[in-house]
Amino acid sequence: MTTRTSRSRIALALGAGVLALAACAPSSSSGGDDGDGTTLTVWSWRVEDKAAYDKIFDVYEKSHPGVTVDFKPFKATEYNKILATGLAGKDGPDVPQVRSYGQLQGTVAAGSLVPLDGKVDLSSWDENVVASAKGKEDGKIYSVPLARQATVLFYDKKMFSDNGVQVPTTWDQFIAANETFLKKGITPLAVGAKDDWTLPIVHEVLAGARFGGADFQEAVTSGAKDFTDPDFVASVEVLKQLEKYMPKSVTGVAVTDAMTLFTSGKAAMYPGGSYDLATLQKGNPEMEIGVMQVPPASGAPSGATGTTAGWADGNFAVNSKSPHQEEATELVTWMATPEFGQLVADEVKQISAVPGVTYSDPVLKQVADDYDKTGSPYLLLTDFRYGTPTGTDLLGKGAQELFLGSKDAKTVSTELNSGVMTWFEPTS
Amino acid sequence: MNRRTGLLFVTPALALFGVFVLYPMVTAFSYAFYDWQGTARGGFAGLENFTALFTRAPFTTDLPRALLHNVLFFVGTMLVQNTIGLTVAFLLHRRVRTRRALQTLYAMPYLVSPIVIGYLWTLLLSPTFGPVNTLLTKVGLESWALPWLGDPDTALWVVILVSVWQWIGFPVLLYGAALGGVPEELSEAARVDGASHAQTFRRVTFPLLVPAIGTVSVLTFIFAMEAFALPYAFGGSTGNPAGSTDFISLLFYRTAFDSGATDAIGTSSALATLLFVLIFGGAYAATAVLRRHERRITA
Repeated sequence: MTTRTSRSRIALALGAGVLALAACAPSSSSGGDDGDGTTLTVWSWRVEDKAAYDKIFDVYEKSHPGVTVDFKPFKATEYNKILATGLAGKDGPDVPQVRSYGQLQGTVAAGSLVPLDGKVDLSSWDENVVASAKGKEDGKIYSVPLARQATVLFYDKKMFSDNGVQVPTTWDQFIAANETFLKKGITPLAVGAKDDWTLPIVHEVLAGARFGGADFQEAVTSGAKDFTDPDFVASVEVLKQLEKYMPKSVTGVAVTDAMTLFTSGKAAMYPGGSYDLATLQKGNPEMEIGVMQVPPASGAPSGATGTTAGWADGNFAVNSKSPHQEEATELVTWMATPEFGQLVADEVKQISAVPGVTYSDPVLKQVADDYDKTGSPYLLLTDFRYGTPTGTDLLGKGAQELFLGSKDAKTVSTELNSGVMTWFEPTS
Repeated sequence: MNRRTGLLFVTPALALFGVFVLYPMVTAFSYAFYDWQGTARGGFAGLENFTALFTRAPFTTDLPRALLHNVLFFVGTMLVQNTIGLTVAFLLHRRVRTRRALQTLYAMPYLVSPIVIGYLWTLLLSPTFGPVNTLLTKVGLESWALPWLGDPDTALWVVILVSVWQWIGFPVLLYGAALGGVPEELSEAARVDGASHAQTFRRVTFPLLVPAIGTVSVLTFIFAMEAFALPYAFGGSTGNPAGSTDFISLLFYRTAFDSGATDAIGTSSALATLLFVLIFGGAYAATAVLRRHERRITA
């Protein structure tokens, strides 16, 4: 009898031991008080920016004695999962980097973030940027935008001058430039249509002016127009018209291949985002890269100009379960100051979301200036990612079908429209 | 050894299995029946998440297409990988001296991560820099230099054939072992009775391989239904181009982690449950049929 009891006790203890092991296995500690100071943990998906953020937070620590900021980046592709788990449990960060616009909504809906209205002042900021930080349901501010991204057409300055091509200011000049490169055996437009997510960006770059940029956004969000509008259909058609200037079998070309075509001097222009700049510069440090806006395609609405479409990205927020909410809010408030904005511009080399920041990199400076002058929202991201299917997913796949010839511009636009209208509600 | 001692030895494994396999599975199953707002669980939703999979965009178009691709993946793998695998195993069986070395050689690609394999083949097949098309053009087969991964008509088959290439060593090993288990006396007896090589294979060897073929088929079915890493490496989470390499696991991944939808946990859990039922049901039915068949031969 005794042996039996002890045996089952061992079994029980063993079982409990395993359970205890499992329970404490994968967790990370969040900030805690060490002595008299406070440690704030900041989570991010920008592993590549670790050194830059360490520098930035050193500045903050100097002016805030007793506060230590621990910047902890995770692999970008795993980040959504890691953050969701962290915020749901009690091991989350004090200050998480969160997604913007529609992709922020799940985190807001779960009640994981602290509303920052009245604590941070974003009143002088670009409206389109501030929208990225808000909860759709209650309109409250839940994060501080970090950076502005913009869609741009990069071009190889030397290749342009070697071939006697000027930066085009009209659509005819743009087409003529493409023809010149094509005749010389240079791929005019390096597009990688195998990666569907790049295509809505390519569409914005090449045809944003054709559908009317910011004016069209207003008309669509208010419900006056939709994506079956002739101007939008024509803008999708522009992609098909320009296909002959893209690499052959463009749907088989990955975006990394497209970038390599550009940096290796085999292509003259690369439509992408401002976030591509660092990669392109690394790909060929010798290359002189310029940026330009594509002039409005023929038939564009009257008054249309070349446009730089932008959106906010990489916002920082305050975890509602953080034991150091006051300190965390103070840190996030600092992230809305020009001091932080300038550090982001200089160290992280992104276009800061804070107004009034100056840029030493000429390309970044021009993108920021272009956006300030003739900016428009990257509509499918800023307004059509609040439900599934998202506008970007639909146009990405639709543009591939357009290139493959299985659908025409009208069908692609109609399907985009019927897809997003399953959940989209106009403001008026 | 009495039952209690047995239990004692089983407990650690059972506890690990319970915590790391059973518990997450059961929770995922329960998640599918609730309303979700981000990571906050709402009220009981009944079958709402499941009906969403059959009534709501993008599932109405993506789910049937993804399922079709999984089925084609299974059929393609069965036809190509397992027939070639059996042939190779049969040929190797008679090469006593080089069998080991060749078996190892055939098994080599599956030691490499599918992500790496997918990436390497993407480079090889790239229409801009890829050596495959360059080679085809050089030897005068220009019309064969297709945009392999850019054309929906070829992309899915590229994924299937590369998977076959990677996993061919697996049926070779299993069939090799099964062939080794066929008693030599039976074939000898058949030959003494005047049976040809082909007849011996068809009437004696093949029937005895049926259990192995069954096992390989069930494992292939599970493998094909779960396909994720290789398609992801080839076409990303959206099954590029134009969804032609989309699979159910990719759709699950998109729904759960890419969509940013507030009800992502509910719908993705429903999808995961559906996939589990499909795999479990299919594998169970197939095994039951095979068992019956085996009993008939051994009886």
